[in-house]
Amino acid sequence: MTSSKTYLAGIILIIIVGAYFLFGFNSGKDKSIDEIGNPINEGGIQKITLGVKDYNYYPNTIKVKANSPVRIYLDSTVQGCLRDFTIRSFNVRKYLRTPQEYVEFTPDKKGTFGFACSMGMGTGTLIVE
Amino acid sequence: MFNEFTKWLFDKDSKLLKSIFISLLASFITLGVLYYFKLRYIEDFIPKYGLYALLIILTYSIILPSMNYVRAYREFACMSGMMIGMTMGMIAGFLPGLYIGANNGMFWGSIFGMASGILFGAWNGKCCGIMGVMEGIMAGFMGGLMGAMTAVMMLNDNLKAASIIIFIISGSIMIGLNYMIYKETRQMEKKAETDDAINIFLSIMLTGLSIWLMVFGPKSVLFQ
Repeated sequence: MTSSKTYLAGIILIIIVGAYFLFGFNSGKDKSIDEIGNPINEGGIQKITLGVKDYNYYPNTIKVKANSPVRIYLDSTVQGCLRDFTIRSFNVRKYLRTPQEYVEFTPDKKGTFGFACSMGMGTGTLIVE
Repeated sequence: MFNEFTKWLFDKDSKLLKSIFISLLASFITLGVLYYFKLRYIEDFIPKYGLYALLIILTYSIILPSMNYVRAYREFACMSGMMIGMTMGMIAGFLPGLYIGANNGMFWGSIFGMASGILFGAWNGKCCGIMGVMEGIMAGFMGGLMGAMTAVMMLNDNLKAASIIIFIISGSIMIGLNYMIYKETRQMEKKAETDDAINIFLSIMLTGLSIWLMVFGPKSVLFQ
């Protein structure tokens, strides 16, 4: 009984000491990128290209103007399901096979909306002003 | 009944706590040696890999000691043997798959998780013959894939917190498994005396291999 209690105390001690040194724990989301992307205006179309950084779209916040067409490209760093780009609030969904392909839509309402890949693994925010 | 189990856990004849202690000690010494000679030169090692290194050490320390009892009694009834093979295969596949998947991507997480799950599932499942071995292989294969998939799908959604919650649930399942083994074996005679040599050897090898793979191993495109 006594030796088992000693072992239990040892186990708890090792876990506490180990956790103290190894707990690189940050609460909330593991990765957050707050860089805001501003589109380039070419011929009346707001164009922006997204890449990948820390396993998420980069920039993952886009600021666009309402009632003017928006064209979003994904560069070659975007892989897997992140290429299946969706913005549910504007009924946008397209699998962009190459960096030359794009999604185009005209935001007709102001506000903050989410965009994501089809599986919800990569996410971001679309601000329409 | 559970009180009996707790009493047995603290009994001088029960070696479970001793085995857990030894496995933890061996794994932490391995990590300490690796850290001193190599890992401390890796930028952001603690914030990036620290939690997963801790969880993988704890994972092996709950899997390996349970094996001692299976090795000591050797033969179990079919239902119990299948449950042992399935539980060990699933936990030994899912958790390493999750941690490697979180650092190296789905491919390497799946490969490592499946290898670990199938190895432990089949090894422990053989206590009831081919049915247990099959059950262990299937659970290990499934667990390895599922662990890596969960990690990759949660990369942008509180993966570290999820890893801790999943570990706690898996730990509870392993306590349940040990309780079941205790219930099954309390009327049985041991077929062999086991020591902690294999426990120590596997703790060192698996901890070293897992941490090496996490830090220096190949990574999928998502992590490059």
